[in-house]
Amino acid sequence: MTPFGKILFGQVILLAMLGLFRLTAFASVDDAQTFALQAAEPYVKQGFQVREDYWGGDLGSGEKKAVRQQLFKGNEYWFWLGTEVERAKISVHIYDSDGKLAEDPDGWEKGHFAAAHVIPKTTGSYFIIVSVEDSPEERTHWALVYGFR
Amino acid sequence: MLLFTKHLKLSAIAVAGLALCAHAAQAPQRIDIKQLSKTVEDVVVPLPNEIFGALNKLGAVNWKEHVRTDKGASFTERPRIALLLGTVIADGFVAVQAEDAPAVKEIGQKVLTLAKGIGVGNSITPHAKAITEAADKRDWESVRQELDRTQNSVQQAMNEVHDEKLSQLVSLGGWLRGTEVLTSVVTKHFSPDGAELLHQPDLLSYFQTRLERMPEYKVPILHEIQEALVDVKPLIDVGNRPIPRESVKKINDITTRLGNGIVTRD
Repeated sequence: MTPFGKILFGQVILLAMLGLFRLTAFASVDDAQTFALQAAEPYVKQGFQVREDYWGGDLGSGEKKAVRQQLFKGNEYWFWLGTEVERAKISVHIYDSDGKLAEDPDGWEKGHFAAAHVIPKTTGSYFIIVSVEDSPEERTHWALVYGFR
Repeated sequence: MLLFTKHLKLSAIAVAGLALCAHAAQAPQRIDIKQLSKTVEDVVVPLPNEIFGALNKLGAVNWKEHVRTDKGASFTERPRIALLLGTVIADGFVAVQAEDAPAVKEIGQKVLTLAKGIGVGNSITPHAKAITEAADKRDWESVRQELDRTQNSVQQAMNEVHDEKLSQLVSLGGWLRGTEVLTSVVTKHFSPDGAELLHQPDLLSYFQTRLERMPEYKVPILHEIQEALVDVKPLIDVGNRPIPRESVKKINDITTRLGNGIVTRD
């Protein structure tokens, strides 16, 4: 390979590495959202309207995050949590403003997907607790979407 | 694209399968909310149709009488345009409830004009087109979805250029218009369950905090809203007690006054 070819090859490798870094560093919450929306997909057919807005961030293993959400009596809600880290174990649960578990028992969690369901008994603020139970990554990106009907 | 759709469908089927065979681990029956204070995220402001949906379940509502399509004044101040934009998107949800296609299309165009006025028109053009097409087909579910996408795109575009405060004013405008319509419906056909939908003290506090952080906007309507929210707070922050008819009427008077202030020139 000529010196020019070597420089060009080196630059291509460097650019590819930078591109890969950008993907892993910046695209992950969006990736997590894609998985959360994937979990929501079957429920759309049941008449749930999935909000475009979502919450996202990153957590270490064993860490929790609370999301405050206004819910209305008369509606039915599902919250779907997703992460792009396939071997992570995540969970989502719903509590009322007094800290009492408010969700229905049909919530589920499986690897990098989890979901919680609530038919609020009262209108008011609720806390949605998202948690990364276990993950091979130091920080695990998460995204939470919700739908109602 | 087709491959992607196929992949998404297969993934959705796989997730549906997961839901059938997966169960949640036992969650604690009670948690200490105070311990969470440092890790609580901001609220996502509910869309008007989330409240309207709950209201619909309490009995038939004559949505047509709440449809509003008047052009209103045009503004050059960005905070005023943002507030009005939120209000007009909420009007779109009312028009969807009323299944009023001409109103939906008119509102779609108005949203586009306002979005252009605030410099985020490009992100809205495809949504405005989709709203018109869906309204022509009377596909109300798609119109609802596009209105949600419209608000989301407007706010994302604003956030990208660090105009988060304007983005919050879009939410505030929508919330005020939604509350005006909700209280109007409940005032006419009072029920304790209808009044309970106003129990949103944390949301109100959220808007109060945000408004306090906007001293640079020297727009009289914002001060008027700030003062009015102080009056509304005790009417809806009632703990476990029911919200009486008189309070609903008072909130309707206040939000109607604010709504008129948002659409008309000072």
